[in-house]
Amino acid sequence: METEENQNQEEILEEYKLDFTTSSAISKMNLKFLVLYLLIFWISAFPVMWFAHGWFRAKPLISEDTSPWIATLLFFPWAIFCMIYIFFLSCTLISKLFLIIINLIHRPKEGVFRAEEGNKDYEFWRLRIELKKLVLWIARNLPLPQADALALRLFGIKMDFSSHMFDAWIDPEFIEMGRKVMVGQGAVVMSSMVVGKYLIIKKVFFDDYVVVGGQSHVAPGTFIGKDTVLGAVSSTNYNQLLEPGYIYFGIPAIQLKENKYAEERRDIIVKKDVDKGTKYVVKHDVNIDEDKKHLVQKADEEISKEKS
Amino acid sequence: MSVPVSLRVGPMASTVLAKKRYLLFYIFLIWISFLPVLLEFWIYWRVFTEISPTYFYIFLPFLIFTQYVTMVLTSLIFSKMCLELVKRIHEPQEGIFLRDVSDKDYRYWSLRNIIKRWPVWLAHKFPFPFLDNLCFKMFGVKTTFSNSLFEGWVDTEFIEFGENVVVGQAAIIQSAMILGDFFILKKTFIKDNVRLGVHSIVMPGTHIEKNCVLAAKSVTTVDQELEENWIYVGVPAKKYKKNHFFEDDLEKVIGNQQRVDARKLREKYEEIYLKQKHRDAGIIERMRIKQEKKEREEKRLEKSAKKQREKQKKRETEQ
Repeated sequence: METEENQNQEEILEEYKLDFTTSSAISKMNLKFLVLYLLIFWISAFPVMWFAHGWFRAKPLISEDTSPWIATLLFFPWAIFCMIYIFFLSCTLISKLFLIIINLIHRPKEGVFRAEEGNKDYEFWRLRIELKKLVLWIARNLPLPQADALALRLFGIKMDFSSHMFDAWIDPEFIEMGRKVMVGQGAVVMSSMVVGKYLIIKKVFFDDYVVVGGQSHVAPGTFIGKDTVLGAVSSTNYNQLLEPGYIYFGIPAIQLKENKYAEERRDIIVKKDVDKGTKYVVKHDVNIDEDKKHLVQKADEEISKEKS
Repeated sequence: MSVPVSLRVGPMASTVLAKKRYLLFYIFLIWISFLPVLLEFWIYWRVFTEISPTYFYIFLPFLIFTQYVTMVLTSLIFSKMCLELVKRIHEPQEGIFLRDVSDKDYRYWSLRNIIKRWPVWLAHKFPFPFLDNLCFKMFGVKTTFSNSLFEGWVDTEFIEFGENVVVGQAAIIQSAMILGDFFILKKTFIKDNVRLGVHSIVMPGTHIEKNCVLAAKSVTTVDQELEENWIYVGVPAKKYKKNHFFEDDLEKVIGNQQRVDARKLREKYEEIYLKQKHRDAGIIERMRIKQEKKEREEKRLEKSAKKQREKQKKRETEQ
């Protein structure tokens, strides 16, 4: 009898399992956020206006008392470039200021909340996302990927500039990245999603050297280990763990094979003994194709030359 | 969040038939939408240069904002007028048409899309989603302002949305489709509280009932009907389980969940599609099933051949 009851309970739990993914697009638009947008837009345009005013005052187009008008026109493209990035920087700083104030009122936290008006966590989640919208839109439309990384770093993603996610859709909070993470084109990384009445926020981890393929999506709560590859057009589930050093593929992603390609860059390991000042070179057995092995041998010869 | 370059699949009106003379519409709409912008700037210049140059610079951001909005609005109004004119000539209708220049419905569909393209493109380039929803409403998609359709790609006609619908990132909702030599135009219905997942695709003629979830990366077929309160998964979308997530007090149940075993889940998915009993059956059993399948297929082919023959006979007699 007990086993039957257990089975019944398991079946019920199975029904409530989150083994599918929806989306983290905001569930309700609201016109009241327009005031916020306009405020950020207006304040962050001041430095740009000041710059433009100074530009035309210092080198006036019509009067001939200062430098010639040709110089103004010649350097005008450069001035436009400056103005765009000044606008971006002031925009990020001002929204960061707003964000700090909002986070002081209510701290963002992980968990399961009700996605209804009146729930504090849900409303502040929406507010945070709306606040970040303008800056991220500008960053996405600018040609430099560094702008993207800077904005995301300021907004609460732990990452450094060696990671690349310029062509992906990414939630701007509760994501942690190691070094040299690559997220492919059209991939979607979510740290929050709404299912039915509930909003689920959970942290996403990317360890070092992780590669996420194009058009794949990463659900909240995913942990991707070191040197792991998530293939293209594949997906992870809520709370899924991808072990380090494997290639994962499919919907949902399962282990395909070991990631041998990751070993290539560690073919020669150099150890240094700090006390004696000596240097050891340890050769590693490498899985490189036969026709490319002569390249490695060349590197070996160079090292031996250096030794001598 | 903002849509990156690789995910930005809009402008929302797709066209296949591109004719040079359609350029006239573009030129007309672009020209006429710039006129009020210039007028606004002229008035602003006249007013503020007389008062003080500092005020001119302080309120310039507002001017730029309103200029963009008026540009979208004017282009919207004029394209709507053009659309009404085109609709008077040929009323848009659902159905299956030939994908050929000689077909009137196909020609007018692409003409309508050309007219819509400039305002929709302008609205989609705006960082805020309000203008987008306004565009949809003006062009005859039934929505409310609270729906978030901004992150996906949505066709601009023959679609009806309920309340509180969310279209996920890079999802595609179509009401028109091209299949070989045919062009299919069918109305899609999406009712209240529906969530469409990431990268999902809704084909023309799909009915999605209330409280449904179309999970990420799943695709519906033409004329598919998704029942109320179900979660659908896969390509093509199939019933996965009941949507219990509109019940109360589930915070702990969801929060305490263990890691999902992906292999088991994969097997579950395959079960839905492949049917387990065939795999477990012995060799003789499987042979029998194969034979039955073959016979069924042959019967079906014979039937269709018969129908074709009858049709040909009818045509010959008519001629």
